[in-house]
Amino acid sequence: MALLEAHDLTKTFRRPEKDPGLRGSFKHLFQRKYSTKTAVGGVDLSIEAGEAVAYVGPNGAGKSTTIKLLTGIVEPTSGEVRIGGLVPHRNRVANSRQIGVLFGQRTQLWWDLPVRESLALLRDMYDLSPDRFRAQLKRFDEVLGLDELLPVVARKLSLGQRMRADLACALLHDPRIVFLDEPTIGLDIAVKDRVREFLRQLKAEGTTIMLTTHDLGDIEDTCERIVIIDGGRVIYDGSLAQVKDRYARERRVHLQLGSELTVTELADRFPQATVTAGAEGRREFTIAFDKAELTAGAVLAGVAQIAEVLEVKIDEPAIEDVVRKVYAGELLLAEGSTP
Amino acid sequence: MKPYRTMARNSMQSTFAFRTAFLMAAVAACFQLVATVALWSALLSNGGSIGGFTLPEMKAYLLMGYVTGWLGNAIGEWVLANRIRDGQVALDLVKPIETQKMMFAQTLGGLPMELIMIVTVGAGFVLVAGPMPGPSNIPLLMLSLVFVMPIRFCIAFLTTQLVFWTQNFHGVSWARNAVGAVLSGSLVPLSLMPTWLQTTAAVLPFASLTSTPALIYLGKVSTPTAYLLIGVQAFWVVALWFLARVAFRAASRQVTVHGG
Repeated sequence: MALLEAHDLTKTFRRPEKDPGLRGSFKHLFQRKYSTKTAVGGVDLSIEAGEAVAYVGPNGAGKSTTIKLLTGIVEPTSGEVRIGGLVPHRNRVANSRQIGVLFGQRTQLWWDLPVRESLALLRDMYDLSPDRFRAQLKRFDEVLGLDELLPVVARKLSLGQRMRADLACALLHDPRIVFLDEPTIGLDIAVKDRVREFLRQLKAEGTTIMLTTHDLGDIEDTCERIVIIDGGRVIYDGSLAQVKDRYARERRVHLQLGSELTVTELADRFPQATVTAGAEGRREFTIAFDKAELTAGAVLAGVAQIAEVLEVKIDEPAIEDVVRKVYAGELLLAEGSTP
Repeated sequence: MKPYRTMARNSMQSTFAFRTAFLMAAVAACFQLVATVALWSALLSNGGSIGGFTLPEMKAYLLMGYVTGWLGNAIGEWVLANRIRDGQVALDLVKPIETQKMMFAQTLGGLPMELIMIVTVGAGFVLVAGPMPGPSNIPLLMLSLVFVMPIRFCIAFLTTQLVFWTQNFHGVSWARNAVGAVLSGSLVPLSLMPTWLQTTAAVLPFASLTSTPALIYLGKVSTPTAYLLIGVQAFWVVALWFLARVAFRAASRQVTVHGG
């Protein structure tokens, strides 16, 4: 059995419907109208121990709600979840020992206390021995630079520092599975890299990871599986490599030439590709093609025969481009095979 | 037990971090005490009594009102309410702890600061306010004071849960404080109220907060009645604790989902 199993997971909310303005609010006092919104509708998910899964989707797609359902914070309207055989919202305490949760937009640090005290409180909650606690702090210090944060009162931490401390909080008890909801939100490049390095390390150590993010750079090095959700439904569940292979096949070769050529001359040479002229008219071109039909090497060799090549730049679409197209509705992903 | 102890210690530490706020609260409390003593002095200047209270007795009553007003109040209910409103409570739900016990531990951590406030301002009051009777039965008084904090916590925790539905604590807090001030007897002794209000107070837990310890202090009730009133306090602690527990189970289903 998989470590995490969710079957037909659904959550609907009742939302008050008010007319605009004071009048609307007043009217709502006497005439209550509600509409039902489905945040998550029939999600099936199965995660094996040791897997790292990226859970992505546009704003309001139902990502955070799914995380709240999976961690037991929110009770599903219908459907079921099991983590390691436990139903999270029914066995909250037992379940909380096997999961770690980080909400990038919230902190679990006690606002008025030094980071050290928050960690000590968690140590007592999870019943860690003093030795184990020290070992964990040392480990976090190595990757997250935690030591310098320990004496600082939580409200005085910068966002990046706070996130580092929060990661330590979420992972202090060595959970079997960790849910990270936007762990790099609002962070600068340096801290982001640090967090990503930490995620890679976690994965290498065998921790099961479920990661939601808007920054797809977070997932490229860590996750081998991607689940895309939109409108509360899973629209893709499969390997990241497969998504890229299937939907990110386009390559663009940007060329700067030593001599002049026309678009037609190049287009004739590469009938499978699309050729466009660049800003510098007849000395700059972009050749776009499907990597299954043509290779960058063949393009370069072909161009070299008719003109001197000065500069070359090759663009490979990031997973980001694929997902952007999905969000925009330009690309309909076929059902991927679950790895 | 250990995490709750640590929580109480952390909470104590945070009250000391806000010592300036408590200093200001102390000044405000002195001001209010002086004003109410002046009011009662004017009303009772001819040496008579109102509702069975002479001026010295009324001063002692006000002192008890001040003392009981602090118990369980240093960690304001705002701390609890904000935890719900900010969605922090969601994080408590993924910890191997019970939220209610955790918040109680947090409230308990405020006790040292409360005692400091009680002793400093209270001692000043005794010195300045003039003659007043001492407690008539110290063990019984102490016993009844022990119950004040848990009862206040349960009431606060229960009303705080309304935030799950209202998303706003102002209204809830104002309403509860206004009702509480009257029905606990902290504004004026309950014996000065119309009968219907006294009856209402008798069936609600608020009187256990101020009226009971104050009446025991002054010896206004016989010893058997004092035991009965303390029994009522104990009943409220148990009843409210379980009521709050059941309510929280229902309320936490209301955790709304912010941000998709």
